[in-house]
Amino acid sequence: MRFALAWRILTYDTGRTALAVAGVFMAILLVFVQLGFFIAVPQGGMLFYDRTRFDLLIASNGYEYQVQPGDFPLSQLDRAKTAPEVALAAPLYFGEAKWRSGEDGKAPDVFVIGLDPQARIFTVEDVNRQLAVLDRTDTALVDSATRPMFGPLTAGRVVEIDGDKVTIGGDYVLGTGFMGLGVILVSAPNFVRLFPYRNLSQVNLGLIQLKPGIDPDLAAASLRKLLGSDIQIFTRPELEAHETAYWTTRTSVGLLFGSGLIISFIVGVMVVYQVLATQVSRQLPQFATLKAVGYADRFLGGTVITMALLIAMAGFFPALAAAQGVYAVIREETLLPVEMSGTRVAVVFAAALAMAAGSALLSMSGLRRADPADLFG
Amino acid sequence: MTATPRLGRQRRSVGFVPLAWRNLLANKPRLLRSSGGIGFAVLLMVMQLGFERAFFNASLEVIRLLDGDIFLQRASKYRFATENPFPSRDLEAARAVPGVASAWPLYAAWHRLFWRNPADGKNFLVRVFAFDPDQPILSLPELDANLKGLSDLDTAIVDRRARRFLGMDPAPPAAELNGSRIKIIGSFALGPDFENDGTVVTGDRTFAKLLPNPRGGPPDVELGVIKLTPGSDPITVNRAITAAVPTDVAVLTKGQLLELERKFQADVSSAGPIFAMGTLVGFVVGMLISYQIIYTDLAEQQPQYATMKAMGYRSRYLVQVVLEQATLSALAGWVPASLASIVLFRIVGEVALLPLRMTVELALVSLLLTLSMCLISAVLAVRRVITADPAEVF
Repeated sequence: MRFALAWRILTYDTGRTALAVAGVFMAILLVFVQLGFFIAVPQGGMLFYDRTRFDLLIASNGYEYQVQPGDFPLSQLDRAKTAPEVALAAPLYFGEAKWRSGEDGKAPDVFVIGLDPQARIFTVEDVNRQLAVLDRTDTALVDSATRPMFGPLTAGRVVEIDGDKVTIGGDYVLGTGFMGLGVILVSAPNFVRLFPYRNLSQVNLGLIQLKPGIDPDLAAASLRKLLGSDIQIFTRPELEAHETAYWTTRTSVGLLFGSGLIISFIVGVMVVYQVLATQVSRQLPQFATLKAVGYADRFLGGTVITMALLIAMAGFFPALAAAQGVYAVIREETLLPVEMSGTRVAVVFAAALAMAAGSALLSMSGLRRADPADLFG
Repeated sequence: MTATPRLGRQRRSVGFVPLAWRNLLANKPRLLRSSGGIGFAVLLMVMQLGFERAFFNASLEVIRLLDGDIFLQRASKYRFATENPFPSRDLEAARAVPGVASAWPLYAAWHRLFWRNPADGKNFLVRVFAFDPDQPILSLPELDANLKGLSDLDTAIVDRRARRFLGMDPAPPAAELNGSRIKIIGSFALGPDFENDGTVVTGDRTFAKLLPNPRGGPPDVELGVIKLTPGSDPITVNRAITAAVPTDVAVLTKGQLLELERKFQADVSSAGPIFAMGTLVGFVVGMLISYQIIYTDLAEQQPQYATMKAMGYRSRYLVQVVLEQATLSALAGWVPASLASIVLFRIVGEVALLPLRMTVELALVSLLLTLSMCLISAVLAVRRVITADPAEVF
């Protein structure tokens, strides 16, 4: 009965209801978008790790985040290799150089990743297929997300990086995340050729792959004992927690999109409230009549809540569909991995219901004015 | 229709706004609701616009502080915050050009110097600017008091508004840069941007000691800051300097320097579209809310409007009343929202250390958006008045 009444009121004035649904749609869409950015930033920071094969990460004690990892001796990695749990320990070298062959004579900074091609550390088939190219002298693979200001990324093009001529061996699809405007992969020997002052015996990160069936937490504990306290060891969940905390608390990202999130939620409440309050005051005589014939306030309140929930649901599903489209545009434009996840849909759905409930509660006060005596005033 | 002119006079005597004003005040709870609804939509727009401006301003702040007329930098330098210095002899060449009063170097490091927070011993990358303390080229008033001390080796001034984990507020008595002990002799308030957590200013000698030039001699110059003699023609001097320096050094005005950075940020970052989208949503939601309000109001007042029509008021006048009312409700939403955003900007700006400011420009832009949002919805809703049929009243 509550549902039937709510439905009748909403369908009685379809124009007004459509307006409310449109408002809720916009507000929920905005919540999705803000949430998308809020999560996309840490995800952008995790991009490299997410596409790399490892069970444990070894880093210096000065490790800040992926791009500022500090360094530690290669000998620690060699020692890790002797542990019975470890199948593979691969070093990673990071460097920043000037790409002197940019458009308009500009020299943008390029993020250089030095690695052992044999270790096949990426989960991206596109990279693995081309790794053999890296064994050639002064040859690099370029991330396809490298910005247009770097000029064409065609295979065979010779570019100047710092003082060296480097041949582009091909491009791969992984994503630059927050590593920089452009990213290239080179072999360790080519890495020291680019950075003569760097020494391969100091590594930036160590990727550990464990033998099948080994528990990462237990292996991390025994490696910590083996390698001492000069380095730190992250399991994958620990690393994700660390990077997410870095991006949401150490940068302004959390606050910017967090406050956007809250305001869009309130705007959603205001829109639904606006419509409900109008409906309540318009139907006041009818509500008063219902009261007069014996319906309790609870029934009337329930009707208003049902109306709110119906509006919220009608706005939610189109907003979900539109958000998918907006995410696709954002992915395209910002190269950030903004994706719809089950949890996100659930969280926003809960927020939409909370929006409805909040606005229903606000408009309830109008109901109390529904005085049967007024009917005959 | 002899009655119309008389009513026209009467309208004037009633005044321009009162009918709209009375309509607005007739239902206080509804007024509260409408200014709340419109207000939050405005708040959303203002916050998004403010964030966008803060994003760009944060990276432009230092460039604005540079005290010079003409600037030299590597032609291949694509943004301010990248190390791409040129030899100091090129600056000497510019100094010799007639019309140049002074030409001083700004030294900078963005990713070569680590600050050790004395409180917890952790190391963080900071940006460091350095110059000859006798020739201050950053116009930060607080710097001037400490310039004398900067001539001493191993001294620095730090940014109180740096991110808190750096431990620069309050300035510690001493800290370390790349392992060298540095005496902190003062502080200034600048603030971080999206890539730099904190700023340290040192004298040129300290900088040269921290990051010696591998080829010997003074460090290479990140930016040459040139001042012209009074009365000299900037364009002529600019041309003469361009001729005097190698082609891989670019000669820029401050406007060009700012424009290069702004263009880089706009091209590369997604801040523009991100915040534009938020603003647009605020606008549409605000339109929906104000349409809802005006439409309801018109529906309720339809008998009154029809009566007025029957009395001979023209539709034009009635439309005008509706538009006036829309303008008033726009203001009723905009005023509290602007006041609220001043407070919110202050709070968020302090917590996030961003230059969030309610400027006159931002106030005007948001007022314009609010007015157009309410007026568009009024125009959409007003058809109801035009079609008000006097006959229906009876």
